[in-house]
Amino acid sequence: MTVDNLQTYFFTEAGVVKAVDGISFKVKQGSIHGLVGESGSGKTVAALSVMRIVPRPGKIVGGRVVFDSTDLLSLKDQEMRKVRGNRIGMIFQDPISSLDPLFTIGSQLTEVLEQNKEVSKKEAKEEAIKLLEIVGIPEPEKRFNSYPHELSGGMKQRVAIARALIARPSLLFADEPTTNLDVTIQAQVLELLKDLKKNFDMTIVLITHDMGVIAETTEYVTVIYAGQISESADTRTIFLNPKHPYTESLLKAVPRLDKRRELVAIPGNVPNLIDPPSGCRFHPRCPYAIDICKEKVPLLEEAESGHFVACHRWRSFR
Amino acid sequence: METQVSTVEPQKRRAASQWAITWRRFKRNKSAIAGLAIVIAFVLFGTVGTFFAPYPQRSHEALYQGQAGQPPSWRHPFGTEPSGIDVFSDSIWGTTNDLYVAVAATILAVGIGMLIGGVAGYTKGLISDAVMAITQVFFVIPTLLLILFFAKVFQVLVFQGYGLTLIVIILGVFGWPGITYVVRGQILSTRELEFVQAAKAIGASGSRILLRHIIPNVMTPVIVLASLTTAGNILTEVVISYLGFGDANQATWGQLIEEGYAAGLSIYWWVAFFPGLLTVYSFLASTS
Repeated sequence: MTVDNLQTYFFTEAGVVKAVDGISFKVKQGSIHGLVGESGSGKTVAALSVMRIVPRPGKIVGGRVVFDSTDLLSLKDQEMRKVRGNRIGMIFQDPISSLDPLFTIGSQLTEVLEQNKEVSKKEAKEEAIKLLEIVGIPEPEKRFNSYPHELSGGMKQRVAIARALIARPSLLFADEPTTNLDVTIQAQVLELLKDLKKNFDMTIVLITHDMGVIAETTEYVTVIYAGQISESADTRTIFLNPKHPYTESLLKAVPRLDKRRELVAIPGNVPNLIDPPSGCRFHPRCPYAIDICKEKVPLLEEAESGHFVACHRWRSFR
Repeated sequence: METQVSTVEPQKRRAASQWAITWRRFKRNKSAIAGLAIVIAFVLFGTVGTFFAPYPQRSHEALYQGQAGQPPSWRHPFGTEPSGIDVFSDSIWGTTNDLYVAVAATILAVGIGMLIGGVAGYTKGLISDAVMAITQVFFVIPTLLLILFFAKVFQVLVFQGYGLTLIVIILGVFGWPGITYVVRGQILSTRELEFVQAAKAIGASGSRILLRHIIPNVMTPVIVLASLTTAGNILTEVVISYLGFGDANQATWGQLIEEGYAAGLSIYWWVAFFPGLLTVYSFLASTS
C-alpha cells in the first residue's frame, strides 16, 4: 500500500484542523509497519482516511492511497464499502467499546461475512468458531454465544481481532490495539499479531505511541509529528541511527532497565493544528532549531536508501 | 424506578443464563416483585376480568332493580351509583379502557418522539437546532391546559363515540418531547462509540448501522421511559375525566371518580373511593 500526500482536514467551528497534512509512506507487502507519534499527531486519522471512515467534520481533501493498484480515494462509496472488512480490516483501540454490547460475539463475527460474502449461516458460524480458535479463545463453541460483557478485556480484544480477520483481508490496521490492556495481555496480543502476519501473509499497520511496542513488533516505522512525516525507515535504523531530532527525543523519553540514565521528556505540547508553527512544525520544541527551521518547511529527503527524513539539519547530525 | 429497569432489561437478552441472572436479582427486590404482581393483576383485571363483569359497560341495570345508590354489598361489591351504574363492573371496564388509553398513547408518544429525536440526533446544524427548538417549546408549555383545550375543541369526536381515541391522540401528541430528548441524547452518544466506527470498518452500510447498532442501543432507556410514561398517562386520563373533559359514555376510573364527586363524596363515597384506589395502586405498582 502506498499513501501519497494524504491530506485530511477537520472543518470545525474554531477553524480548519489539518490533522493529516500531506503524509506519504509506503507499506511493504507482508510486513508489520509501525505508525508512531504522540497523541493528536494524526496517526489514527491517517488510518481512518485510508479506510475512508473519517468521522464528521473531517474530510479527506487530497492525496492518493494506492492499494492493490487501485486508488482507494477515487472509488465509489459502494465499491469502497466492499473493500472495508473484506480486503482491509481494522482493530480499534478500545476493545470494550468496539463491540456492540447487545449482540453475542458470534453474531458480530458472522455479521462481517453476511455483509461481504455469500455464505450460509452454518458456514459463517463454522468460520467464526475457527477464527475464535485462531485468536486463542478457549472453548470457542461456547464463547460463540457469549455477550461482550461476559469476557475480559484481553478476550474482547481477541474477538475484535477475529472480527477484523474473518473476511481474510490482506491489510490490517491495528490502532493502539494494546493500549487498554495490561502488560502480560499486551505481550500476548502482540505475539498474536506477529503469528497472524506469518500465517496469513498479511500486511499490518500498527499504530501506537509506545516505542517499546514498535521495537518488539514492527519491521518498518514511520514517525508522524503534527500531521506530517518526520522520519521513515526500517525499525533497526530508527532505533540505532535516528536522523530526526523528534525521533531522537521520542527514544530518550522511553524508560530503560539496562542503562542508567535520566528520562528526558519532550518540552511543550503537540502544537495546535488549526494554526501550526511556521516552517518545521517541530521547531518550537527542537533543541537543534536554527533560523531556517522557523521559515522553511523541510522536505522529506532520502538520507540513505529507504531512510527518509524531513529535517533541515539531518546532514549535520553524527 | 431502578427496579423497573430490571423488569425491562431481559427483553434484549437472548441467552437463557442472562435471563436467569436477571430474574434472580429481580427476585431479591421485594418491592419490584410486589409491583410486578400488581401490574400483572391489573392487566388480568382489565382483560380476563371483563368476562366476569356482572354488568355491561355503563349499564343502569341496577336502577331498574331498585339497587341505585347502594353501598358496597355482596351483590355490588363496590356499591352502585345513584344512576344505577354498578361501580365494580365499571371499574373493570375502566381498567380495560385506561390500559388501552395509557398504552396506546405511550406507543404514539414513543413513535413520534423517536422519529423526531432520530431526526434531531442524526442531522447536524440548522435542522437539528430547529427541531430541538420546537421540542423545547413543547416541553415548556403547560401541557395539561392545552390537553384540556384540545379535549374541548374536539368534543364533537366524543359525541361520535371516539372519546377514548381523542384522549389517546391528545396524550400522544403532547407526550413526546421527553422521549425526543432521550432519543437524541442517546443517538448522539451512541454514534460516537467505537462499535459504530467498527461496524463501518467491516463494510456495513449506513442503514444497517442505524437499524442494527444504533437503534437497539437507543431503545434501552426509551423502554424505561415508556413504562413511566404509561403510568403518567393513566394519571392524566384520570385528571381529564375528573375535570369533566372525558367521555361520559366510556367507563374510566377518572369518569367514575368524577361521578362520585358529582353525586357527593360524603354520601356516595364508594363511587369515587374504589376507582381512586385502583388509580393509586396502578401508579405505584408501575413506577415502583
